[in-house]
Amino acid sequence: MTVRPSASHNLMIRKLESIVSLSDEEKQALRGLPIQVTSLKTDSDIVRVGDRPSHSFLLVEGFTCVYKLTAEGNRQIVAFHVPGDMPDLHSLHLKVMDTSMATVTPCTVGFIQHEALIQICDRYPRISAAFWRETLVDASIFREWMTGIGRREAYNRMAHLLCEFQVRLSAVGLAEDDTFDLPITQTELADAIGASNVHVNRILQELRANGLIRTSGTQVNVPDWQKLKEAGDFDPLYLHLRQD
Amino acid sequence: MTLTFQSVRVATEYDEEGMLVFNGNRRLVAVLTRLSEQNEIAPGQWFLEAGFGRLGGISHPTFANLETAQVWINQRLVHQN
Repeated sequence: MTVRPSASHNLMIRKLESIVSLSDEEKQALRGLPIQVTSLKTDSDIVRVGDRPSHSFLLVEGFTCVYKLTAEGNRQIVAFHVPGDMPDLHSLHLKVMDTSMATVTPCTVGFIQHEALIQICDRYPRISAAFWRETLVDASIFREWMTGIGRREAYNRMAHLLCEFQVRLSAVGLAEDDTFDLPITQTELADAIGASNVHVNRILQELRANGLIRTSGTQVNVPDWQKLKEAGDFDPLYLHLRQD
Repeated sequence: MTLTFQSVRVATEYDEEGMLVFNGNRRLVAVLTRLSEQNEIAPGQWFLEAGFGRLGGISHPTFANLETAQVWINQRLVHQN
């Protein structure tokens, strides 16, 4: 799979512009960032707990997850990332990884050296602020998930997660007509919402039976957005998308 | 520990065929349901629907048959973790 570097840059800019406004000069500077694009298979670790990465990655294609393993070997997925995201951008300042990140589908990722990121941040304070904002939104997503895992029913958590995917994928042009591709296994969904995969399977059947989603292969269609939002207790405020 | 099983219908709205599992003191420790043959995850297997006491954690495994369920439950009841 080859992706022209410019496509990666444009995706990064599109994502950043969903949360901040950028000037032409700032966009030009971002287009000058050296990005090393590579393809990864499903279930590849990109960074692991304890790593000291010298680069951060831009997710160009596919889905990745952030996870932790318990002593017993149980996995908790604490976030998913979609194209345009820079999941380990915080490793620019937090030198040792405290979570692992892995692909959940075949992925294209672009590695950007920390040195280059530091230089662009030094020269363009608003880009620095945009990156900061990106990591703050990640933290906001963690808080939202924590609330769900602690206090929402599994059925509502799943509806919430589907709403989140719809909004985040739409922000980078990857959802159309309330339909998006979600090539994530039920086991991964279970590890994300903190339920067994048997429960997740029942929940998906229930969501379908209640007319909240239609699925065809990995495609998810949301016929009634309002109903799914209500089922998920979903308010997109925590994603901090630009309003203007 | 000798476990005893008692058939029961469980209102999961999916898989009704169930089994209450009692410990040697006739106290309920688990509810198992048998997943249907059409189940996408573990067709025909027994699922730990609910556990109590030492089985009341977040683990909800599936078992190929009641014998393997019995072994797992016994291990959990003996070894508190």
